[in-house]
Amino acid sequence: MFFRMIRGTFVRQWKKMLMIALTVALGASIATAMLNVMLDVGDKINEELKTYGSNITVVPQSQAVMNKLYDVEEGDAGEEYIAEEKLGELMTIFWANNITDFAPVTDTTVTLNGEEVSLSGTWFDHHLEFVKKGTTYQRDTGIINLRSWWDIHDGNWLDEQKPGSEAGAMVGAELAKKQKIAAGDTITVKGEHSTETLKVTGIFESGDEADEGIYTTLPVVQRLTDSQGLFKKAEVSAITSPEDELAIKAARNPSLLSGDEYDLWYCTAYVSSICFQIQEAIPEASAQAVRQIADSEGKILEKTQLLMSLITLMSLLGATLGISNLVTSGVMERSAELALLKAVGATNGQVTRLVLTEVLMTSAVGAAAGYFLGYAFAQIIGQTVFSSSVEMSGMVAFVVAVLIISVTLLGSLPAVRMLLRLRPSEVLHGGH
Amino acid sequence: MNKKQRMFFRMVAASLVRRRSRMIVALLAIVVGATILSGLGMIYYDVPRQMSAQFRSYGANIILTPDNENGIEENTLKAAVAAFDKEQLQGYTPYRYENSKIHNMPVTLAATDFQSVLKTSPYWHITGSLPAAEGEALIGAKTAESLGLSLGDTAAAVNSFTVTDTTDISGIPDYEIVTDPETGEQYCDHELELKITGILETGGSEEDYIYIHSADMNSLLLRERGYDVVEVSVAAMQKELKGYTEAISRQVKGVSAKLVKRVTASESTVLTKLESLVLIVTLVVLALTMICVATTMTAVIAERRKEIGLRKALGALNSSIVAEFLSEGLVLGGVGGILGSVLGYYFADIVSMNVFSSGITLRPLLIPITILASVLVTGAACLIPIRSAVDVDPALVLKGE
Repeated sequence: MFFRMIRGTFVRQWKKMLMIALTVALGASIATAMLNVMLDVGDKINEELKTYGSNITVVPQSQAVMNKLYDVEEGDAGEEYIAEEKLGELMTIFWANNITDFAPVTDTTVTLNGEEVSLSGTWFDHHLEFVKKGTTYQRDTGIINLRSWWDIHDGNWLDEQKPGSEAGAMVGAELAKKQKIAAGDTITVKGEHSTETLKVTGIFESGDEADEGIYTTLPVVQRLTDSQGLFKKAEVSAITSPEDELAIKAARNPSLLSGDEYDLWYCTAYVSSICFQIQEAIPEASAQAVRQIADSEGKILEKTQLLMSLITLMSLLGATLGISNLVTSGVMERSAELALLKAVGATNGQVTRLVLTEVLMTSAVGAAAGYFLGYAFAQIIGQTVFSSSVEMSGMVAFVVAVLIISVTLLGSLPAVRMLLRLRPSEVLHGGH
Repeated sequence: MNKKQRMFFRMVAASLVRRRSRMIVALLAIVVGATILSGLGMIYYDVPRQMSAQFRSYGANIILTPDNENGIEENTLKAAVAAFDKEQLQGYTPYRYENSKIHNMPVTLAATDFQSVLKTSPYWHITGSLPAAEGEALIGAKTAESLGLSLGDTAAAVNSFTVTDTTDISGIPDYEIVTDPETGEQYCDHELELKITGILETGGSEEDYIYIHSADMNSLLLRERGYDVVEVSVAAMQKELKGYTEAISRQVKGVSAKLVKRVTASESTVLTKLESLVLIVTLVVLALTMICVATTMTAVIAERRKEIGLRKALGALNSSIVAEFLSEGLVLGGVGGILGSVLGYYFADIVSMNVFSSGITLRPLLIPITILASVLVTGAACLIPIRSAVDVDPALVLKGE
């Protein structure tokens, strides 16, 4: 009988039930979309912030330490280098997937047309292969993504993977203006150990001192400085988590952490733990956070996440109010029907059960539809803003389910209370 | 006012007063919708300004460099800085670089203004404190390590003057002229005692310098000179910044202004993304909320089919019924819109205070937009169920079918 009555409601009052289901679906879709976007926004913004360039620099262990260790006379220690092949180790560390780009840089001073200029050798889009313990790691990396703010005025980026590009160079805008160099020109630079002829592939504007220098491939500078297979420093761009108390504590001295804290720190993508892992992988190097980039990233991320969570909270509040509102009015308007049920002998418990079952079933259908609608909205947001899909979290489905059930029940509460107080004779007589 | 109109108003008023609970349900829905509209709207308009200030943690986005050897003089600096909008200017820090020696090792000294340095370089990590009094110095971590200096140590920066130099060395207390045995040149050393009050860590080239007060630099070198570079932090978008640099380079003599492209270009990329994120989120939430409001209104009206049927049976015209219900809806929409704009403003303000620790700017234009939108949505939401109700035969409605 109970189920027949419920079925009757859905068949005869399908319009009303559809309206409730529709509102629940809309509310659920807002909740789903916003929660998913909120949870994923950190990663998305973090990727965008990579346009600021590297947030970690890797340099050889400090000269002071070397001097103390080997008792080298000051000035005679010469330049310090790290072996180029060691850079492959970066692909083997715990947080290797968070490292988006890296490139070695060796700079030197050369003579170009009688003028001293700075020349930097680096990777542009280098194809790197590294074999360790039988596993081959490979990726394309270089400064193209680490200098996203460069404007190429004339010509193109140096394409390292094109044959014959090794003797290519890119010239800073100020220098090009001063020496009247254009893309396609050939320049001759004289260094301490050799003289190189380079073909200019492009003129770039960087807005800093790089505009007065030249960028070329690493082997050229290695020959000029007689440092084959070596580099002076490396720039690394990594996606990191904002620093918190644990990270600050660890930055002072990782060995002071307790075992659990250490594990947590090591397995969180803090800039300090990534630096630590780089030093583990390349013991002769020292990895440091570039504070300007690393600190600001944390701040921007934190603000964006907070902003999104408050907007989400506001939307959730709106959605829940909308749902509970409609559920209340949906039940109340059936007072005549429910009073009749009471008049023919239904107990309060029976009527309440009937009403709640109906409403919950409607909500469940609405919520399920809303979840998928919300999924679609989250993807639309992800694609439009970040051109990548928003990752759906399983937790969101659970949160939305709990939210909808509790909102529906809460929304029915005033209606149920009214039902219990309902006096059939009054309602049926029309005195309500 | 004729009788018919008076009756019309009495019916609208009576319906709003007597059917209180239903009206509250409808009004609540509209208020929620309007709150979301005005709140998100205000947040959307304020995000670029507020976030732009947050992006200043990346430090200076404009640098001023001198056109001549004398550097940027104090007066020129004042004239250049005056070009910026006071509200947008977060701070500016001048630097003057000079070479010197400590423990016989070459070092670079940088004279700066410690009052403003953290405004243009908020990312500086300082162990100890910024130099307060003259004779105190902030030392870069790398230099500190290579010189073996630590917090609280004192070291003497030495500057050598060749005696034939035009500089008047009589300013040096008890100077001693030394003759180089090889070249025969005469020179004398001038020392400046520096007390290390802070060690600077940035992960960048700043770690190579020693920062001191301008007055100390003048007394060490026995001469004054303008600044080599001035870092300026301005909370504005790239386009506006470009305008500033052009204006300064054109109007102020002796200075050329440049954008720090790494900061400005990246900021505009990220900020554009953030803005479009908030925009599309606002649009999606708004669209869904408005549909929500509409369904609620529809449900509230739909339950009054009996009343409509009764009125039709008593001879009311379709048009007068539609007009009455519609004006009821419009009154609700207007009241809900006004309440919602006020609540939305407070909500946006709370969000802004929590996220950015500064209040939201009121956008007066959003208030009429919010009211208009709620009136339109409510009106449209009422029309559909009323239309279907008035088209039905009153006999059927009253019978309960």
